[in-house]
Amino acid sequence: MTTHRIACPPTLNQETGRALLDDAKKEPVARGEAILLDFAQTRKMDARGGAWVVALADYAYANSAEFRWEGEQGDVADFVALIEPGLHPETRKQREAEGFTTHVGASALAIAAEVREFAGLVVDATYWTLIGPLEGRGFRWGLWTDELYEMGVRAIRINFLMNFLLGLTIAMMSAAQLREFGLGIYVANLVMIGFARELAAIMTAVVVSARTGAAIAAELATMKVQEEIDALQGMGLNVSQFLVAPKLLALLVVMPCLTALGMLAGIAGGSVWGVLVLEIRLDAWLNQTLSAATLDDIWQGMAKSLAFAVVIVLIGCHNGLRVRGGSRGVGLMTTRAVVMDIFAIVVIDMMFATLFYYVLE
Amino acid sequence: MNMDKDIIIEVKNLTAHYGETLVLEGISFNVARGEIFVIIGGSGCGKTTLLKHMTALLHPTTGSVVYDGVDITLMDEDQRSTIQRNLGIAFQSGGLFNSMTVGDNVALPLREYGNADEHLIQAIVRLKLSMVGLGAAEHLMPGELSGGMRKRAGLARAIALDPPVIYFDEPSAGLDPIMASGLDDLILNLNRLSGITFIIVTHELESIRKIAHRILMLDQGKAIFLGTVEEALRSDVPRVRQFFERRADDFIVQRGA
Repeated sequence: MTTHRIACPPTLNQETGRALLDDAKKEPVARGEAILLDFAQTRKMDARGGAWVVALADYAYANSAEFRWEGEQGDVADFVALIEPGLHPETRKQREAEGFTTHVGASALAIAAEVREFAGLVVDATYWTLIGPLEGRGFRWGLWTDELYEMGVRAIRINFLMNFLLGLTIAMMSAAQLREFGLGIYVANLVMIGFARELAAIMTAVVVSARTGAAIAAELATMKVQEEIDALQGMGLNVSQFLVAPKLLALLVVMPCLTALGMLAGIAGGSVWGVLVLEIRLDAWLNQTLSAATLDDIWQGMAKSLAFAVVIVLIGCHNGLRVRGGSRGVGLMTTRAVVMDIFAIVVIDMMFATLFYYVLE
Repeated sequence: MNMDKDIIIEVKNLTAHYGETLVLEGISFNVARGEIFVIIGGSGCGKTTLLKHMTALLHPTTGSVVYDGVDITLMDEDQRSTIQRNLGIAFQSGGLFNSMTVGDNVALPLREYGNADEHLIQAIVRLKLSMVGLGAAEHLMPGELSGGMRKRAGLARAIALDPPVIYFDEPSAGLDPIMASGLDDLILNLNRLSGITFIIVTHELESIRKIAHRILMLDQGKAIFLGTVEEALRSDVPRVRQFFERRADDFIVQRGA
C-alpha cells in the first residue's frame, strides 16, 4: 500500500494550510492508498489551520483513501486531539437517498396517517362541541364569547367591504351584457340570486379562512412548539375540549351571521351600480330584488356557510397540531391551513351545487 | 496574569431597568484577556440581562461597557455590528435558525463574514461540529435535535469565526454530567490553545470549580462578590457561602411585580 507522506509546516494557519492541501493534490491519491500527515516540525497551529487539516482528510476519504497523522507534540498535540473527531470517516456519512418505491410508499403511509389523525380530530371535536356539553362534561363558555368577538364582531367591517365590492363588480359585469337588450333591471335578480346561493357564502368563507383559519393554525402551532399543548395533555385536559370545541361552536354561530351580512352587502353593492349607472329608481330596484328572493336560495347559502365554518376550524386546528420544528414550521403550517381551506371551500361549493341543481331538483 | 495591563472588557457602573423594574444596579468589573470569567447568582438576579448588556443586545440606563478600549454603549448600529462579529454568543437554548440545517447554521457567520472559500467553510463546519460532538448531525434540522444537542450546536456556531471572546449562557444546564464535563474540557481547551476569553453564566457548582478563573456573583441586581474560586470558598459574604454550600433560604423569596 502506497503512503503519501506530507510534512506539515512549522506554523499551520489559513495560508500554509491551503498550500498543504494543494501540495497533496499534486500527487493524486488512489483508492486504498493512504495520506500520512507529519506534524514533526509543527510548533504552532490555529483553528483555520485545523480546518485545512479536516479538508485534507475530506480529500483522502473522498478518494476512498486512508488518512493518518503522526509526530504531533506539545500544544499542537492538544490541538490535534481537539479536532480529532473531525478527522474520522464516520462524521462524513451522508443521508442515504431513497428509491422511488420507498418514496411512493412513504408518501402513501404519510397520507394515511394524516387522514387517520384528521378523522380523530373530527370525532373528538364533534363530541366535545355537541355531546360533551349536554352530558355536563364542561365547555369553556368564556373562551367561546371571546372567540365570538374575535372571529365575528371584528370581521364585520372587512367582510362587509369585500362583499360590497364583489356586488358592485358583478353588477358592472352583468349590466354590460344585459343593457344591450334593455334588460338592465334584471341585474337586480342576478345579484340577489348570485349572492344568496353562492357569492356571499364563498366570499365570506374566503375572508374568514384568511383571518380566522390562519389565526387558529398559527395559535395552535405556536402552542405546540412551546410545549403548551403537552402541558395541557399532561394536566389530563383534552385539547379538543379545551381549544377546538369553543372555536368550532363560535364559528358555527358567527359564520351564518357574517354570510347574511355578506348577502346584504352584495345587494347593496349591486344597487349602487343599478341606481347610479343604470339609472333605475331605488324603489324599483329593491322591488325587483325582493321579487327575485326565495327562501330556498337563502337556505342554500346558509347551509353552505355552516359547512365552511366546520371545515375552516378543523383544518386550522389539524394543521396547527401537526407542526414540527420551530418558527419555520409555524409559518409552513399556517400557509398550508389557508391553502387547504380555500381548496376545501371550492370543492364543498361544487358538491353543494351538484346536490342542489341535479340531485334534489 | 497581569490584570491591569490587558483588559478586554470593562463594565463601569452599569445600571439597567426593564420598564420601571430595576434589574442591575451599579455593576463594575473588568475581564482580562484570556480569562474564563464566570457570572453566578440565583435565578432572576440579572445574569442574563448583564450578558445581554455586555454583548450590546440591550442598552443600559446609565453606565458603560468598554470593549478593547471602545465604549459599545455609545456606538451606532454599524459600529456595534462590527464589534459583535468579534463576539461569539451561545444562547441558553441554542438560538438556532429553524429553517436551516445544523451545518448551515454554523456556516452562516462564515458565509456572511468569514472571507473563506466554500470548501474551507465545509471543513470548518465539520471541525466545529465535531468539537462539540455533533459530527454526524450536520444534515439534521434543529427541530430533530434534543435540547442538549441544540445547545452544543449553538456553541459550534458561536466559535465558528474563532472570536476572541465567547459569551456562554448556561452551558451545562440541561446536559447530562458526562456531556457537561466534556463541555467544560472543551471550554478549557479552547481557552488555553486559542486564547479565547470566556464569559460564562452558570449555576453549576462543579463546572464553576473546574473552569472559573474569576467569579462575579450577583444578587438582586447588585454585585456582591468578585474574586477567584478559592476566595469565593473562603468568603464571609453570607449569600456567597450559601451558594457554595448549596443551602436553601429559610423561606422562599417572593419575586415579581
